[in-house]
Amino acid sequence: MDRETLRRLELLNQLKLTEDEKQDVLSFFELREGEHKCLEAIDTENTERMVHVLPVMTVVREDKVVKTFEREDLQRQAPETDEGYWCVPKVME
Amino acid sequence: MNYETVIGLEVHVELATNSKIFCSCSAHSFGTDPNEHVCPACCGMPGMLPVVNKRVVDFGMKAGMMLNCDINRVTTFDKKSYYYPDLPAAYQTTQWFAPVAVNGLVEIETSKGKKGVRIKQIHMEEDAGKLVHDIREDTTHVDFNRTSVPLIEIVSQPDLSSAEEVEAYLERLKTLLRYAKVAECEMAHGTMRCDVNLSVRPEGSDKLGVRAEMKNMNSIEAIKRAIEYETARHIDAIENGTEVLRQETRRWDDIKGKSYAMRTKETAGDYRYFPDPNVMPVVIDDEWFDSVKDSLPEFPEVKREKYISLGLSEYDATRLADSIAIAECFEDAFKVCNNAKEAANWVISDVTRVLNAKGMTYEQLTLSGKALGELINLVLDSKVSRANAKKILDALFEDESLDPVKYAEENDLVMSNDTGLVDKVIAEVIASDPKAVADFKGGKEKAIMALFGKCMKQLKGNVDPQTLRTMLIEAINKL
Repeated sequence: MDRETLRRLELLNQLKLTEDEKQDVLSFFELREGEHKCLEAIDTENTERMVHVLPVMTVVREDKVVKTFEREDLQRQAPETDEGYWCVPKVME
Repeated sequence: MNYETVIGLEVHVELATNSKIFCSCSAHSFGTDPNEHVCPACCGMPGMLPVVNKRVVDFGMKAGMMLNCDINRVTTFDKKSYYYPDLPAAYQTTQWFAPVAVNGLVEIETSKGKKGVRIKQIHMEEDAGKLVHDIREDTTHVDFNRTSVPLIEIVSQPDLSSAEEVEAYLERLKTLLRYAKVAECEMAHGTMRCDVNLSVRPEGSDKLGVRAEMKNMNSIEAIKRAIEYETARHIDAIENGTEVLRQETRRWDDIKGKSYAMRTKETAGDYRYFPDPNVMPVVIDDEWFDSVKDSLPEFPEVKREKYISLGLSEYDATRLADSIAIAECFEDAFKVCNNAKEAANWVISDVTRVLNAKGMTYEQLTLSGKALGELINLVLDSKVSRANAKKILDALFEDESLDPVKYAEENDLVMSNDTGLVDKVIAEVIASDPKAVADFKGGKEKAIMALFGKCMKQLKGNVDPQTLRTMLIEAINKL
């Protein structure tokens, strides 16, 4: 983790860190990187991939349409709506 | 120096399910008001938990099997960070670490012969909503109807090298996915969209050049033009230093025929994928896997060979097998009429004629093949003339529940076996047009056509044309 990577992460996460916070993050990642290097040293060649820490699986539902909410109920707490749309500050790609 | 273009595609396909991927809202919002098909889950409200739609996994597996992929029997969902108001949770639920299908192969055919295109992976994910920017100047309007509509993304390896190959690959994907009935794949409707990753390198080099990505391309013609433009731009930059190539995402403007830089290309790390703690792993047991495998259709090539063995030409067999809708219509019609050539002719010529006139694609065909077979039988049994059979076909397109036999009877379209009636009409027509009769007898053979037309009109087309012609000539010769 270097300052350039941190700057990029700030941008991606829409965060603004103070200098002290940046130092904390850099120190934190330095420690984590050390731990990861230890993990990387382990031979995992013949180890089956673990997809979840617990032996659990999802339930699935049938492909059936059920209308559970009315638009008006969902939009009741919206700061602004217009003709059935939610309104957000202008964004352009 | 000669260059080669290296292209990889990411193809997003909207799955033809009834409901969304993680909630039971309708996945079909065409023509409905904004935000009619939404709930707290697809609106990304805090605390809502996704529940996986089984059919999405069925379709993901099926697509994978059609493209010769290995199926991950334990497949997981992950969160992809995404700050944009069309996905209100600020992440997209997708698959990164264990996608449903991996390591596939699709065979394509171009003017240069056959070629295999490797599939890196197929993953299931949710679509984003729609943003409308032009209703008001100060705000963006958001419609979440499309949010969480299920997609698969098919990621190819960079094995394509020309616009022709890309077209063949996309057409092949469309055919196979339509055969499996997992998706409409209509680029014009947005149910198939394509990101093109392209770079250029000196011929023979094994090092990839600088990659540009063009996102959300939605027509094959536009994709072909964009590939040609980008290839030329890259070569120009390499040879003449007209610009410094950067790894970036570009927008294709098909009207101006140019691409524009949008942003530097994200790398996988930028998305900060992590396992979605709200969706447990999907475990595909043997029973589930086998049920999907057993539901796979015959491949187009198998159908084609089968049709050739029925006596059809290679051309006809290929045309029928190109579309599953057409192939099924033909097969159902053939089951009833047991005449492959006749059924093929009706499907290729007449059914296609009606579809074209209505501006419909093969995939929109709802005509019952069984009804078509019954109609063909009416013609083969000389109960209905071909001209009237075409009228009945038009009616079948208007009302799929019509019984062709009943319709022919009720609308006076059954051919007359009453030769007495035909004789009577011929006599009347001959008497009404002595000039045409004289002309025919004087050697003007074409004069018979006027008399023939009048007879056919009076008989409402309900007579075999050849029989009528023979009887008409005999009657004139007797004069």
